[in-house]
Amino acid sequence: MKLLTHNLLSSHVRGVGPRGFPLRLQATEVRINPVEFNPEFVARMIPKVEWAALLEAADTLHLVEVPTEPIEGYEHDEKFLRRMHHVLLEVDVLEGTLQCPESGRLFPISRGIPNMLLSDEETET
Amino acid sequence: MSDIQEATNQLLDVHLHGNQKSIQVTEGGPRSESEHLQVTIGATVPTGFEQTAADEVREKLGSSCKISRDRGKIYFDISVESLAQVHCLRSVDNLFVVVKEFKDYQFKETKEEVLKDFEELAGKLPWSEPLKVWKVNTSYKKKKTKRKKINQNSSKEKIDNGQGDRADEKDDKKGFTSKALDSHILDYYENPAIKEEISTLVGDDLASCKDETDEGSKEDAPEVLKFRVTCNRAGEKHCFSSNEAARDFGGAVQDYFKWKADMTNFDVEVLLNIHDNEIVVGIALTEESLHRRNITHFGPTTLRSTLAYGMLRLCAPQPTDIIVDPMCGTGAIPIEGATEWSNCYHIAGDNNPLAVSRAANNISSLLTKSQIKEGKVSWGLPIDAVQWDICSLPLRTGSVDIIVTDMPFGKRMGSKKRNWNLYPACLREMSRVCRPGTGRAVLLTQDKKCFTKALSGMGHVWRKVHTVWVNIGGLHAAVYLLKRTPQAFVHPIEQDGERTPW
Repeated sequence: MKLLTHNLLSSHVRGVGPRGFPLRLQATEVRINPVEFNPEFVARMIPKVEWAALLEAADTLHLVEVPTEPIEGYEHDEKFLRRMHHVLLEVDVLEGTLQCPESGRLFPISRGIPNMLLSDEETET
Repeated sequence: MSDIQEATNQLLDVHLHGNQKSIQVTEGGPRSESEHLQVTIGATVPTGFEQTAADEVREKLGSSCKISRDRGKIYFDISVESLAQVHCLRSVDNLFVVVKEFKDYQFKETKEEVLKDFEELAGKLPWSEPLKVWKVNTSYKKKKTKRKKINQNSSKEKIDNGQGDRADEKDDKKGFTSKALDSHILDYYENPAIKEEISTLVGDDLASCKDETDEGSKEDAPEVLKFRVTCNRAGEKHCFSSNEAARDFGGAVQDYFKWKADMTNFDVEVLLNIHDNEIVVGIALTEESLHRRNITHFGPTTLRSTLAYGMLRLCAPQPTDIIVDPMCGTGAIPIEGATEWSNCYHIAGDNNPLAVSRAANNISSLLTKSQIKEGKVSWGLPIDAVQWDICSLPLRTGSVDIIVTDMPFGKRMGSKKRNWNLYPACLREMSRVCRPGTGRAVLLTQDKKCFTKALSGMGHVWRKVHTVWVNIGGLHAAVYLLKRTPQAFVHPIEQDGERTPW
């Protein structure tokens, strides 16, 4: 699971709504996959990203430092873009968990795939 | 009859010289001369997506297309130099070079006469230039042999292992053989067995050569080529079968070229496509249908990559669009997406652990393939897999730009009854995660009635923009292009004031 995906995922435990984001990430196995750097892609993606969530995830994984906000003129700052490219696309969480911040429910990540299924009881009205 | 007479007169010259040239189709031909040839290429595409394919041809090759009345085929002209690029088209299943097209072929009254005409036709066709194209094409393919072998071997293994899943396919096959028309219906789902509903020349001797001899055997000069004839026939008024046409036409081709007939290990595949009064004779340029390209791990309902491409193209992906397939199965659509629209981000999701696992495997195979092909160290692709439930997607509201999916038909997967509950729930949840205003969805389904009903209650969030009618393994399905209205999604739970489009 890449951090860009993590940025889109949210807990759907009943009654939690928007408070289910962001999921707390815990990783026991991580792999770094080089991906071709596309500065335009990164620059355009940044406004779509929930920054605080990304910051938190990157910190948990002890990654290269992510600034608290996108810096001024980031579109032309190659060093910054490369760093964000790395954080968003090159870090793959293979084993770990995602935790709903509101209910505490844990969702496992196994072989790079998060399992977000709820049990039958959890989805009952 | 007049057509044939005309053809005969025009081609007499060719016939005289043709004999010599055709036997000498070997190494050492004037290749540079061949490359300036202009030829007509025919391509088979998923029915319903002819226009999409034509758009891709115009975009990538600069050629305009003619869309045949024989559904699922397009024709365009290119110079032989562009042949390599033609193989990169992602919306076409099979390619062939046109030898001759008869727009209004006059069939004689009796079967004997018609078949006799086919026999005579063989020697009168303008074979030499199409054969040059075939030659160029073959030499180009040889460079790719190594790469192809890896995929062929792995896909064969997977097909064998998937026997359990194939129980469904066999019922459909029975359905095919009982059809009155010989029309060639390309199967929507990946099943190599069903594709053989085509008549091929019944060869006396089946060569027992193995695939591994690829490297050595075809290199040497004057060698007898092996061939087969495949005939597709569609039409109500024909007094002959595709079997008979293939047999007699093929027999004449064999006499003319002194080639050897071989059904399985052929060099040249001659195509005889008959659709009512339209006949196209061609030479195949693709062996393995291109539509199997991305999938090494099949599931019971794997979508053709060419169909996946067509659907993606319909929603006009923009750079950095987040594209989600919430019922991805083996991942055909997101994988096609990650390959062709690598400046977007793709997520493949499914509730079935087997499906997600297959999708992940297919993604890995893709990575390996691109490593070998490009020789670069690029490991990652902009694609991820998640296990989830479509009715309750663990995604932020309004975070997805495009949803593309193949919805359960209720035939191989699920049931019609289940669809009545599933479809509205899907559409609702999809409208929540889809970005208001700019978001869109492309949904394939055979259960059009259920879909239309489910959509009718959702006019405030979904607007139907376009429908493509497709014929899929005999089923009449539809691909709906929907646009997400600007209206923000309202959480029913949060109606006490906490509505936050976050």
